[in-house]
Amino acid sequence: MKPGRVTARGRARAAAAAILVLGLSAAACSAGGPPSIAGRQTLLIGVKADQPGLGLRLADGRFAGFDVDVATYVAAKLGVQPDHVTFVPVTSATREKVLENGSVDMVVATYSITPTRDTLVTFAGPYYVAHQDTMVRADETAIHTVHDLKGKRLCQAKGSNSWVRVTQELGIAAILVQAPSYSACVAMLLAGTVDAVSTDDLILAGFAAREGPAVRILNAPFSDERYGIGLKKGDLSGCEAINRAISQMYLDGTAARLLRKWFGQTRLQLNPYVPQFEGCD
Amino acid sequence: MLAAARPPAPPQRPAGRRHVAGLGRLGLRTTPGRIRALAAVVVLAMAGFYVVANIAVGNARDGLRVIGHDAGPQVLATGDLYFALSDMDSQVADILLAGGGSRLDAVQHALSRYRQDRARADRAALQAAELSASDPTDQATVRSVLDGLGQYEQLANQAMVLDQQANRPAGPPTATVTAVYRQATDLMKLQLLPQAYNLTLAGGATVREAYEAKRSAASSGRVWVALTGLAVLVALAGLQIYLVARFRRRVNFALALATAVLIVLGVSSLRLLSGEATQLQLAKTDGFDSILTMSRAQAISNSMHADEIRFLLDPGRTDTYSLDYLYKSQTILYVDSGNLGAYYTKLGVAMRAYQASSPTVSFFGFYGAEARAHPGPALTAVLTRFQQVQADDQRIRQLAGAGHGRQAIAVLTGQTAGSSSYDFDRYDQAIVSLIGLRRQTFDQAIRTGDQDLGRSVLGSWAGLLPLAALGVAILVIAGVRPRLAEYR
Repeated sequence: MKPGRVTARGRARAAAAAILVLGLSAAACSAGGPPSIAGRQTLLIGVKADQPGLGLRLADGRFAGFDVDVATYVAAKLGVQPDHVTFVPVTSATREKVLENGSVDMVVATYSITPTRDTLVTFAGPYYVAHQDTMVRADETAIHTVHDLKGKRLCQAKGSNSWVRVTQELGIAAILVQAPSYSACVAMLLAGTVDAVSTDDLILAGFAAREGPAVRILNAPFSDERYGIGLKKGDLSGCEAINRAISQMYLDGTAARLLRKWFGQTRLQLNPYVPQFEGCD
Repeated sequence: MLAAARPPAPPQRPAGRRHVAGLGRLGLRTTPGRIRALAAVVVLAMAGFYVVANIAVGNARDGLRVIGHDAGPQVLATGDLYFALSDMDSQVADILLAGGGSRLDAVQHALSRYRQDRARADRAALQAAELSASDPTDQATVRSVLDGLGQYEQLANQAMVLDQQANRPAGPPTATVTAVYRQATDLMKLQLLPQAYNLTLAGGATVREAYEAKRSAASSGRVWVALTGLAVLVALAGLQIYLVARFRRRVNFALALATAVLIVLGVSSLRLLSGEATQLQLAKTDGFDSILTMSRAQAISNSMHADEIRFLLDPGRTDTYSLDYLYKSQTILYVDSGNLGAYYTKLGVAMRAYQASSPTVSFFGFYGAEARAHPGPALTAVLTRFQQVQADDQRIRQLAGAGHGRQAIAVLTGQTAGSSSYDFDRYDQAIVSLIGLRRQTFDQAIRTGDQDLGRSVLGSWAGLLPLAALGVAILVIAGVRPRLAEYR
C-alpha cells in the first residue's frame, strides 16, 4: 500500500508541475533571437562631430545637425526618448570598428552604403540620397568638373569612400593627399595644400555656408550617395524597425521639415521623398 | 464485488476538519479519494494537453496565414506594382520618342500597353492596400503611391497631348514636352518606384518576423505537446495500475480506450505539427525567400538597364549613371571590383567558375545568395543572360567612349541577339520564369499546409481536438465511476 501511495502522490506532483511549467512557458515563448537594438531602453548613437549641418559638436558639448535630428527621430520611433540617447563622436575611419566592438549601437554619420561596407555592417535606409560634388577655392579657375582633377591634389579623408569614386571608379588620376577628416580637408584647401575636396553635397554645403566666399562648390554632382544607418552586422530586426521609422519620417513630413531646416538656405535640390531602401540582408 | 467487501467503508468526516487540515491530505487518505485524485490528475493533464495542442495548432495556422495569405501575397502584389509602374514609364518614353505620324503603329502599341500597365498597377495597388490593412505605415505608403500615380498620369497625359499638338516628325520631342515628361519620370523614379520597392521589403520583413516567431513556437509547441501527452499517458497508466492493484481487476476497458484515443491524438497532433512546420519551411525558404530575392533582382535590374539608357541619352550626367550602373550591378551580383572594367572581367571569371564541372559560387549579392540556396538550371539561365547583358553594356560603353555614339545607340536599341534591348528582355524573361517556378513551390506548400490543417477524421482540427480531449475525460470518468460506486 505504502509505496503505491507515495508513487501516486509523486506522479500527481509531477503532473501538476508539468502543467505549471507549461503555463509559464507559454508566456516565455515570445522571447529569443539574436541581440537587436529593437526594444532597447537606451541608445548610443555615433555621429560626426565636425561636419556643420550634419553632425557638429557645439560649444556646450551637445550635437546638432541633420544626422543628429534623424537619429533622434528614429530613436524615438524605436521607443527611446531623447534623454535616453547618448551621442558619441565618430570619424569616417572608426565607423565600422565602433559598430563591431559594440561601443555604439548605431551610426548615423554621412555613412554611404557601398557593397564593400555592406559586407561589414548591416545598413538600414538609406534615409537620404546625397550626391558627390567637388569644392575648390573661390579663385580656382581650372577645375569645372570632377574630370579636371587629373593631376590636381585631392584631399583623401581617412575612412571615406569619396576619393575611391574619383580615382578608382571613375579612373581620374588625381594626386591624393591624406587628411584625418573633412574638416581637416577644408582647412587644407584654404591653406592651399590641396586643390580640391570632393565629397557629398550635403557635407560640402555645410562647410561652404561656414567658410562663405572663400570656397566654391562646382555644382557638378557625379554620384548617388545613399546615406545609411549602420548597425552591427546581422541585426535584421533592428534594421527593419529603422526602415519602418524612416518611412514614417517621410510620411509625416518630418524629413521634409528637417531638410529645409538644415539645407533650406543652400542651393541644393532637396528630395522630400523616401529613398528606395537597400533591404536588410 | 470482491474489492468492495475488503476495504473498510470510509468514515464520514466532519466538514470542518477538511478546511483545517487541507483538502488534498484528507482526500488522499481513502481509496475513493485517491481514485478521484488520480482521475482528476488525468483530466487536468488532458486539459493541459488540449490547451498546448490548441496553441501549437493555432501557431501553425497563424504562420500559414501570414506567409501564405497575408504578407507573402503582399510581396508578390507589390513586386507586380513595381513592374507595372516602371513599364508605364517606359511606354510613355517610347510614345514620345516614336512621336509624329510616321510611326503610328508603334504609338498605338505603346499606348495600349501603357493602359494595360495602368490597370495592372491599379489592381496590384488595391491588393497591396487590402493586404497591408493591419499596418498603418504600409497603408500610408500605398496611399501615397496611389496619389502619386494619379499625378503621374496627369503629367504623362499632358506630355502626350502636347506632343500630339506639336505635329512633329519622329524623334526627340520638343523642349516643352520634354520638360513635362521629365517631371513625370522624376516623380516615378524618385517617389513611386522607391515606395513600391519599400513595400516589397516591408512585406518581406513581416514574413521574416512571423516565420522566426512561428518556427520557434512550432518547435517548442511540439515539445510541449509531446510532454503533456506523455504526462496524460503516465497519469492514465498510474490510474490503471492503481485500479488493477487495489481492486484486483483486469484492465479497465474505458481507461484502455482513453489511452488508445490519447495515443492516436498525440501521434497525429505531432505528425500534423511537424508536417505544418515542413510546409511552412518549404514555403518560406524554397518559395518565398527566392521570390523576394528574384523580385528585388528584377527591380534593380530594370533600374540598372534604365541607367544604361540614360548614360547615352543624358551626356551631362554620364558619371552618375555609370557609377549607379556599377552599384546596381554589384547589388545584383557582387564581385570585388573598383570600376566597371574590373567588374566585367571579374564577372567573367566568377561565371566560368560557376559553370565549371565542379561549380563554385565565388560571387555575392542577390544571385550569390540564390546560387548558394537554390542552384539549378533556371538560375543558370538567368546568370548566363545577365552575363550577356553585361557584355552588351561593355560594348556600348566602348563604342560611346571611342566617340561612336550612333553605333552605341544601335547596340542599345536593336531587336536582335547581341543588342541590349533584346538581350535584356530575354534576361528579364528568365527571371520571370524562375519566379514562376518558385511561385509553384510556394503555392503548393501553402495549399498542402492548409489542407492538412483542415483535414482530419472529424472534419477540421478545431473540431476534432476538443471532442477527442472531452472524449478522453469522459472515458476516464466512465472508467472510475463503477469503482467509486462500490463505496457508496
